Amino acid sequence: MASVTTELTPSSPRPTTALTADDLRAQRGRRSVVNAVMIGLMALAFVAIVVPLVFVIGTVVGRGAGVVFRDFPAWFTKTVPISERRFGPGMGPAIIGTLVITGCASALAIPLGILGAVYLHEYGKNRGFARVVRFFATVMTGVPSIVMGLFVYLVFTLYFKLSGMGGALALACLMLPVVIRSTEEMLRLVPDHLREASYALGTRKSRTIMGVVLPAALPGIVSGCLLAVARAAGETAPLLFTIGAATKFRTNPFRGSMTALPLQIFNNATSSKPAAIERGWGAALTLVAITFLFTVVARMVTAAYQKRR
Amino acid sequence: MNPSKRSLLVAAALLSGPLAVVATTTAVSATTTTAPPTTTDCGGPKATPAPAKPAAGGSTTSTAAPASPASTAAAGGDQAPASAEIDGSGATFPKVFYQEMIAAYTEKNPGVTITYGGGGSGKGRQDLADQIVQWAGTDGVIKDADKGKFQGGEVLYFPTVVAPITVAFNLDGIDSLKLSPATIAKIFQREITNWNDPAIAADNADLKLPDQPITVARRSDSSGTTGNFTKFLEKSEGKDNGCVWKLGTDSTIEWPKDTQAGEGNNGVAQIVQSTPGAIGYVDLSDAVDAKLTFADVQNKAGKFVKADANGAAAAAAGAKVADDLTYSAIWADGDGAYPITAQTWIIVYQKQTDKAQGEAIKSFLQYVLTDGQLAAIDLNFAPLPEELAKRALAHLNDLQIG
Amino acid sequence: MPPWRKPWVELTPGPSGPVATSGESLPSLQATGGTADRSFGLLTRIAAGLVLAVLGLIAVTMLKRSTSVLRAMGLDYFTTRRWAPPSQLYGILSFIWGTTFTALIALTIAVPISLGIALFITQIAPPWLRRAMVYVIDLLAVVPSVVFGLWGVLVLAPKLRTGYAWLSRTFDGWPVLGSLFGPNPQVRSFLTAGIVLAIMVTPIIVSISREVIETTPQNEKEAALGLGATKWEMIRGAVIPHAKGGLVGAVMLGLGRAMGETIAVALTIGSALGQVTVNALASGNSMPAMITAEWGEADSLKKSALVAMAMTLFVITILINMVATAVVNRSMKKSRGS
Repeated sequence: MASVTTELTPSSPRPTTALTADDLRAQRGRRSVVNAVMIGLMALAFVAIVVPLVFVIGTVVGRGAGVVFRDFPAWFTKTVPISERRFGPGMGPAIIGTLVITGCASALAIPLGILGAVYLHEYGKNRGFARVVRFFATVMTGVPSIVMGLFVYLVFTLYFKLSGMGGALALACLMLPVVIRSTEEMLRLVPDHLREASYALGTRKSRTIMGVVLPAALPGIVSGCLLAVARAAGETAPLLFTIGAATKFRTNPFRGSMTALPLQIFNNATSSKPAAIERGWGAALTLVAITFLFTVVARMVTAAYQKRR
Repeated sequence: MNPSKRSLLVAAALLSGPLAVVATTTAVSATTTTAPPTTTDCGGPKATPAPAKPAAGGSTTSTAAPASPASTAAAGGDQAPASAEIDGSGATFPKVFYQEMIAAYTEKNPGVTITYGGGGSGKGRQDLADQIVQWAGTDGVIKDADKGKFQGGEVLYFPTVVAPITVAFNLDGIDSLKLSPATIAKIFQREITNWNDPAIAADNADLKLPDQPITVARRSDSSGTTGNFTKFLEKSEGKDNGCVWKLGTDSTIEWPKDTQAGEGNNGVAQIVQSTPGAIGYVDLSDAVDAKLTFADVQNKAGKFVKADANGAAAAAAGAKVADDLTYSAIWADGDGAYPITAQTWIIVYQKQTDKAQGEAIKSFLQYVLTDGQLAAIDLNFAPLPEELAKRALAHLNDLQIG
Repeated sequence: MPPWRKPWVELTPGPSGPVATSGESLPSLQATGGTADRSFGLLTRIAAGLVLAVLGLIAVTMLKRSTSVLRAMGLDYFTTRRWAPPSQLYGILSFIWGTTFTALIALTIAVPISLGIALFITQIAPPWLRRAMVYVIDLLAVVPSVVFGLWGVLVLAPKLRTGYAWLSRTFDGWPVLGSLFGPNPQVRSFLTAGIVLAIMVTPIIVSISREVIETTPQNEKEAALGLGATKWEMIRGAVIPHAKGGLVGAVMLGLGRAMGETIAVALTIGSALGQVTVNALASGNSMPAMITAEWGEADSLKKSALVAMAMTLFVITILINMVATAVVNRSMKKSRGS
């Protein structure tokens, strides 16, 4: 999505006007004041959003760092204490759970989303069906996560019990439209002459897409997908009804309940037990760190891609 | 797609026409505040009678005395299976107790994995009905209308612990307060809005009450704790007892707009803790954790009783227990009974089709009803009266495993 | 190595490839034919259709599960404000209002800030600052909503108490502000939820606005600057008119997101039932917050009422997004065409 920016280069230095009349100069002065004020307001807007962000991150780090780094690896390797009253580290199963569930969601949503985008851009183009799908894919990005959670509970969890897969399905439904839309944007950036060159060699369309178009767009697609994954990893509402409340390490998403970081944050930080509250904030720090890592990787991939072009 | 959905909606509304008329008439009579109250209604939101109490059928009164655990009652009981996994969800009010039980039990039986996700009594009952979980915690009984929805057949109730719901307050320099049910009802309806109100002073002649506005804290989420607290007000001051309490009883009620809502017991405790002049209902375990002070509440016998394990045990002992072990400890008889005592059960299916899971459930329940009772007081819960614990243990034999 | 990973330069007509056939005839730019090709096309079509299938399934499932409450309450479900489980009355008007009102407050705060940031990033900031700002906005976007909620209720709300009291006192009796900042301010209120939401939707509005703004043709901007316009005049004269439609769409997508937010709102809005008021300092409730708060203790009719609430929310957000998408598409098309 973001690499639409690539085509724009910073504007060249503005040529100074040769006008010298006094009234024009006075007008010029007023105009540059307005300019400065507006630019100042824009910068202020950024400050206005940075201040709460610093507060939020400060709260998360301040309350969470203690428990995460106390006995360093224990937080990542131990199971979650069963009782909210007992102090001690352990968020391992939730970290694994978040990775497994988000991984499964990605395994579902990313290939399907890419195929869908391929249809939209390579096959459907401006045909009726493609336009309808494109429209509803954009619309679908706005479906509230709680609605997705409830939906998966009604059509999946009621029949297949609590499992990581239920959470993964809900997250996949949230990711699918995002992947489709961002991939289509990337496919749009692949120059047509690549396709034409491939066709000219007699390569089939499917082979052209698999061998030429997708590899050319791959870095952009990867970064779009990673951003979708990062957003999905932080969702609480879709997991509330679907994955249960395990405290031990579980890696099989198809059988038995699991746990995940957003759920641990929600359950623990609203508890009255100091031990649980501490773990809740620790989980929050872990989740923010993991999702931000995803985002940074996504941005780096995009940057490398832009440099190469 | 959208137009079709809209037309479906319209169709649903049209189809429901005649039925909707019935619903609308009741709605109208309840919504217009000027309408005269119907029959025994208190003129408040209450429009339908409360669900029937579980105490029907051959009731017996269990003996008093706050119970030493009946650890010998079913000695030589069942062994835990080598490996099994059972999931549970439901009431959040006994969650801390169950978590401790699971921790202690699985230490002894490492092959067994037990989870308890909380989420609320209603969620627990629904999850058990849909067989998403193998056991559920609930603070209330299954409504008759919902019984048919339990796909696994007959459900057994196992009472586990009882616990008081405190009326916690935050008044500078005052650490004991006596409140009658009528006063509590008026405070929570915002009819009494200052601490120096004569109604409060009448029960607290020895106190110098400040001229300070009252802030009422209550639950924002739907909760069995709200259900039990309002059931106490309904039973003591409701439409059968002078109509002081007009808001009815349910897990969510229409609180006055100027009350403060907190998420969970902890959310309410935080409001009370941080707001001078605040009052709220919080279960004992959370009130103690948040270091709140709480009031002595007048019981059915007219005595002011402290909210603690003894008062709760006395209330449980004074309750009438039905054959299926359902009972209500709210507004119970007995001089020492704390009137806002909540009961809670673990519910499971009578027919356990999976042998390992069935055995795990049986052995876990047995642990809760024997050794677990010892741990209850430390966790600010009260153990079951001896008689009731014995009956619950005997009830374990009704489980059909395999 | 999966086939699609192979760099395209290695691609030569394979032994089983269609070279022979397509070599004989004139090479068509759309080399179609062959079962593998057709099935691949079908596969992509199915994947694309999945979007419609999921949306349709959501609508059908929700509608099926909400019939019992719609039958019991009729249209009163949407038009009355009493949510009274003891009386089995379920009206969601106040929650529709709460959802709308908090979202509007959030947008009132977030839109100027987001547009300011988007313009600053795209038009003013030097490349190094632009990169740093994009990272900051990304960081904001990945903070889980439950963390915002907890921060809002534990850290932010207590700090707002004196400010709210001041607002309520100062504007008492004023024509519009007097009712907006009404009497009896609550720290957990529409406004608190709106502020937290504003912080949460800002990154979304910023990222979409950036895309839209960057479609402004470079030559138009340079023409403006070349005529001696200041940066701001260039933005006002070239960028904003060009991006207007797209910006409206970005805002509406933000609105959709704000209306769907669950946990942060549940923790900060104050959870008062039946509130239909323009007093931003009063407690209220929203649809997603109600669903999470009430689900735990819901029996048959209430459960149906909650599912119907989710359906209402679904339909509202879908409608908003449809309008937004249509607006964005039209503006994009216009800009691509020019």
